[in-house]
This record gives sequence, C-alpha cells and structure tokens, in this order.
Amino acid sequence: MGVVSSRHLTKSYRNNHAIKDLTIQFQEGSITGLIGRNGAGKTTLLKLIAGLIKKTDGELTVLGEEPFNSLKVSANSIFVDDQLPFPQDFKVKDVLREFSRFYPNWDGELADRLTSYFSIDKETLPLHFSKGKRSTFNAIVGLATHAPLTIFDEPTTGMDYSVRHDFYRALLKDYMEYPRTIIVSSHLLNELEDLLEEIALIHDGKLYFQETVPSLKEYAVGLTGSTSLLNSITQEHDVLYSKDVGMNQQYIVLKDRLTETEKDSLRREGVKLSPVSPADLCVYVTNKAEGGIDDVFNRSETI
Amino acid sequence: MVLNHDSMKPIYIQIAEWLETEVINGNLSVDDKIYSQYQLADLLNINPATAGKGLTKLLEDDIAYKKRGLGMFVKENAREKILLKRKNETLKTIIKDLVQEADYLQVSNEELKHMIEAERTKRGSS
Repeated sequence: MGVVSSRHLTKSYRNNHAIKDLTIQFQEGSITGLIGRNGAGKTTLLKLIAGLIKKTDGELTVLGEEPFNSLKVSANSIFVDDQLPFPQDFKVKDVLREFSRFYPNWDGELADRLTSYFSIDKETLPLHFSKGKRSTFNAIVGLATHAPLTIFDEPTTGMDYSVRHDFYRALLKDYMEYPRTIIVSSHLLNELEDLLEEIALIHDGKLYFQETVPSLKEYAVGLTGSTSLLNSITQEHDVLYSKDVGMNQQYIVLKDRLTETEKDSLRREGVKLSPVSPADLCVYVTNKAEGGIDDVFNRSETI
Repeated sequence: MVLNHDSMKPIYIQIAEWLETEVINGNLSVDDKIYSQYQLADLLNINPATAGKGLTKLLEDDIAYKKRGLGMFVKENAREKILLKRKNETLKTIIKDLVQEADYLQVSNEELKHMIEAERTKRGSS
C-alpha cells in the first residue's frame, strides 16, 4: 500500500468542488510530480494530504491515518509552499532552531550549509526576503526536515533559473542520501521531469492520469506530414492536438497506439515522427477547446 | 554523456546505449565495473529509478552481470554482442532513412553507392 492513498476523495468550498471523487496513491520512497493547470485542485489535494484542511467526503489515508488533526501526520510530514508561515519576529536562526525542536529527523548541518551556499543571513527576518529568496529559504527548510512525507507545492516560485537548478540538484542528492516519499507540484515540468519517477496529472479536481515518466514518453506521438495523409489516420486514432504548420502540412499528436510497422510505413510516406514532452502532453490533454488561445483572436470566423 | 530530450528514445534506453558505446570504444572492458545506479543518477541528474532501469536493460540484453553487493560488471563477449545488435538495429534504421531520403530525391542505387564509397574514402577507411 502507498504512503498516501485516497478513494473517492472530495473537497468542496461552498458549491465549488475543488477535488471531486479522486482516487490516487503515492508510493513510499519515490518522487512524484503533481501537475495540472491553474485551479485544477493540486494545492487543495496537497493540503488535504498534509492534514491542513478537512475533506468533505471519501477516504484519505496518510501514513496509516486520517491526516486531519493527526499528530503522527504533522510530525512525519512537511508541506512547503511559498507562504510557509513563521512568526513575524522570527529570524532565520530562530526558524531553524524551532524546526530542529519539532522534527526528529531535522538535519541542522544541511540547513546551515544550504543557507550559507544561498547567502541567506541567519540574523535576517524571512519576512523581509524577496519572493525568490523566501522560496529558497522555505525549500531549504523543507529539505532539511527530512520528513518521511515531504510535500513541495510550487517550491520554485520566484526563484531564478540558476537557483531552481541548484534546488533540483539538492533535492535529488538529498533524496538519494535519505530516500523518502516526496511529492512536488510544479508548472515547470520540463525542468523537473528527469527527477521524477511518476507524474500525476490533476484536471478539474480529478486524476487524469498517473504514469511513470518512461511510459509517459510513450503515451503520445507527434506526426508531421501532409494534411490529406494525416486525415486518413486521425479517423482511427485519438487525436490530442492538431495544428496547421504550412501549406497542406499538419502537426498532430496521437495517443501512441501505432505499431512499429505502422510507424515505418508512415515514415516511408514522408511523415516525421517526434516525441511529445510530458509538459506539452499535459497542455494538449487539458486544453478546453481546440485551437486554444488562437481561437480568442479568430474574430472573423465567429461571424 | 548528455541526455537528449528531443529523442524518441526514453532516457533509460539512452543510458543503456551510452554504456554500450563505452564498451565498443574500449572504455569499459570485460569484467570492468559499470557505474552504480546512484552514481548514474548523480552524474546525469536523474531519478535513481530511471538509472536503475537503464542498468536492468544491460542485464536483460546479457551484456552485464551482477555480483551481489559489489555491483554490475561487463560480461564476456559483450562487445561482439553489442556490435551485432547495432548492426542489426541501429545501422538498419539509418539505412532505412537513407534509402527513404534517396528515393525522395530520386537518387539511383548507383549514385547512392558512389556517395557512400566517396564518404568512406574521405574518412580513410576502405
């Protein structure tokens, strides 16, 4: 059984279902990426798992317990987002000291080394940090906690490119040294995908898919070729996305159910096959209407 | 080794092929120790499970063997096996692409052969 498992989990805010009938499992000792569009329900799910908010309906078990009001879950998990609340008059050193008192696995040496690497002065107040620096500090706290269940909700908000890459590297190295269950939600899937074992896509409060990264790579395939040729294929397959890319040329993305022989014959007919990155795939499957943003600007066609 | 994210090949296959190339080049010989799962993950900045999958592929293809607690090592005849496999798979795929492009450009067999020979002469092989 997984460290986290839910069945038919629902969370509603008034009449709005943030999480709807969601069934998901997170395996022990793996890094899972939780992705989805803005408002898909990622943060709500993560907060439910961390026990910060109360579910409306369904089942949710974290480390063997219902997480809301569970001391076991609070002591063995950490939820890091860009607002991790600290008392206003706490300096960096006070925050680190209090964390070491609360979390039994706290790695003070790692926290010290990371804060000095990222030039975070221990005498300053986190309250006065820039957005990026605050995120960096929160991420450091999240890593050094070494909680058996570590949850990062958009940890890289505001971080510059270089700091983000340092953070990914730190996350991987620390995970290898202290294997534990890590869930990361992020919009920057391209940067993160190599670190992940699994990717779960949440859409409209539901689980759209949960796949290992290698199988996600084989989930879809991109075809570029003449429109007439591709039209004959689209009849028999699930088309996730299509776009005109030149005179009688089209780019389409299919669920990859093509056999090797079919692929070969397509290549022979001049169709180019290309991989679809998990990030692009997620955009395609969650797009509301065909065409997307272009349709907004297509005023002439609506008349 | 640099991972290619634009390739149709999953990362773990790329890792297996890279290690195979190291065997072909002679950088890894019979009974040499191959990187561990964690060394690979650290080197390439990837999830250790992905690295492990690449190593498992070498075991499955009978190119490496495992010594309990010590790691993975290059198997006897690994190089010959890899060369044969590359000829049957990689080279054939490239030839398929080559012939397809030649057909597309209406290049005759003679002309194509000529071009291959010219390239080989240029490289100094026969």
